[in-house]
Amino acid sequence: MSEPAMPLLTVNKLRVDLPVDAGTLHAVRGIDFHVERGEMLCLVGESGCGKSMTSLALMGLLPRRARVTAESLRFDGMELLGLTERARSDLRGARMAMIFQEPMTALNPAYTLGNQLCEALRRHRRVSRGEARERAVYLLERVGISAAAERMDQYPHQLSGGLRQRVMIAMALMCEPDLIIADEPTTALDVTIQAQILRLLRDLQREFGTAVIFITHDLGVVARIADRVAVMYAGEVIETASAEALFAAPSHPYTQGLLNCIPAPGKTPPGSRLQAIPGVVPSLVGAVEGCAFRNRCPLAEAACETPPPQTRIAAGHVARCHFATRLADPSRQPQPKVMS
Amino acid sequence: MMLATEPTQVPSAGGEQPCALELRALSKSFTLGSGLLRKGRKLHAVSEVSLRVPRGQVMGLVGESGCGKSTLAKMLLGLTSPTAGEVLVDGRPIAGANQKALARHIQPIFQDPYSSLNPRQRIAQIVGLPLRVHGIGSPKEQAARVAEMLDLVGLPGRAARQYPGQLSGGQRQRVAIARALIMRPALVICDEPTSALDVSVQAQILNLLLDLKEAFGLTYLFISHDLAVVEHLADRLAVMYLGRIVEEGSREQIFGAPRHPYTRALLASALTPEPGLGVPDIGLGCGQPDPSAPPSGCAFHPRCPLAEANCERHRPSLNDAEGGGRVACHLA
Repeated sequence: MSEPAMPLLTVNKLRVDLPVDAGTLHAVRGIDFHVERGEMLCLVGESGCGKSMTSLALMGLLPRRARVTAESLRFDGMELLGLTERARSDLRGARMAMIFQEPMTALNPAYTLGNQLCEALRRHRRVSRGEARERAVYLLERVGISAAAERMDQYPHQLSGGLRQRVMIAMALMCEPDLIIADEPTTALDVTIQAQILRLLRDLQREFGTAVIFITHDLGVVARIADRVAVMYAGEVIETASAEALFAAPSHPYTQGLLNCIPAPGKTPPGSRLQAIPGVVPSLVGAVEGCAFRNRCPLAEAACETPPPQTRIAAGHVARCHFATRLADPSRQPQPKVMS
Repeated sequence: MMLATEPTQVPSAGGEQPCALELRALSKSFTLGSGLLRKGRKLHAVSEVSLRVPRGQVMGLVGESGCGKSTLAKMLLGLTSPTAGEVLVDGRPIAGANQKALARHIQPIFQDPYSSLNPRQRIAQIVGLPLRVHGIGSPKEQAARVAEMLDLVGLPGRAARQYPGQLSGGQRQRVAIARALIMRPALVICDEPTSALDVSVQAQILNLLLDLKEAFGLTYLFISHDLAVVEHLADRLAVMYLGRIVEEGSREQIFGAPRHPYTRALLASALTPEPGLGVPDIGLGCGQPDPSAPPSGCAFHPRCPLAEANCERHRPSLNDAEGGGRVACHLA
């Protein structure tokens, strides 16, 4: 509030390395991004691109053997790197909360919902049992759960998947955190329930002014909820833009490929061939030379063996590609080479 | 001819060309929580489903989890037997046909290529297993057919000697497709075949399924929750809700002019990648019904924005609709 220009979270050169049998897995390879107060940032990418590793690193929830390094991880003016486990734990749940993909595994089956909802508040704030319960019931009502007071005494297995995810959202909001990290929170749900949960999350986020990092692989979801988007590929952020700019002028061949390979109703003729991205994601064990996308890229040239520059397309729109400026401008589209 | 219990059978009544697949009032119920002295509750997973899939077409089957899609698929594959009704393949009932004969005609492709392949067998063994089970060809001929099949699904020759663990998700799904098609079945049940894959790989697999359909004249029953994928692939669509088909029609009918309120809600909840539209309010209420205690009358009435008193009392039957297709709604 005091310094409006400063983002809530600034991530600088974050790296996550994991020892594996074959060497070191570089799951996250020096990424930069920031989250403004009260905004919805979507972190989008396919499996193994490092999006979940990034969120776990921010929460301080990675296993001990994972090595997290960065130039800085600044949260509300505070450097997260080098904080003691105790100090990290004071932040978790209180100022940064997390919503996971599978609410059944994230909720403890042996405790009532009321118990679990109140726990976080009682751990971080000096409130009485009664006050905690009151807030829990209030939030359960806010996330659209009927008969909230009775639900407090129920166990997670007594709820459907959609209701459990609503409880997870209520739980994340208990301490009014500044930042919520939602890791694929609707992937396990039916489309009808997904739409309802996304609306709820979006409405509450605006009302409470909470910043959200929303992790997903679904570009449809991204288009509908994101303020800004960071696209990840092979452990790197390859394009950052506002949601409108990303869909209007995708400037990295991977982003363009992703948008082209989902059938667009009304645009893609039914039964026609989809533009697939050939090949598979490179292994992140050991060093990756040059552009990590070049073995699948229709535009790859010799230049791509050197690391691609951060190219500024417009204010707030950056892509990591040698050809980003040309790609951003439809009139100067480079001709893709024919792939074998 | 493998399926018929009698050696000779009349081609089909009325001279009409038999459908690749026909379901006649197919039902399956399970008994829940029954004990020695306790009578259990009945769960009607699939109720009186009738459906015709013409040869060479793709029938899309959509609906929420728990609507009976997978139970239906299991009955078609002979993995569970129906409580009532019958399944006809090429105009012949499959009841009484043995599992092995059925497997020549219908093959599945499942959602998860990680759990549907034996991790201890090489790809050549996995793909060649149906040939060995049915005793087709010499080992040499079998190997040749496996190699041909792997090539058709776009796998490199060296994949034959590899184990599933050495392949990516997309490659594994290609193996599953090769295994399903090596017996040259006429009908393939695709149960969420791309749901576990990344979008860039999903497009590769969808292209492959379309190519193979053309090459072999296959008929697909394509079960999916991804409406964009179904719209891209399916010629016709059936929408299921709590074990019943509530609407059926051509792709153009279902996507262009959906008639059942549930179909409309389902289509509205599909999030297309168009920024600025926000998340639609589909007005369904938050309670998904319990399949073991379905609501009275039209099972959709508690969530339906149009429900009237009549909907609570009487279940609408699935009737032919104006302009083709079928719909089960009092107000359609």
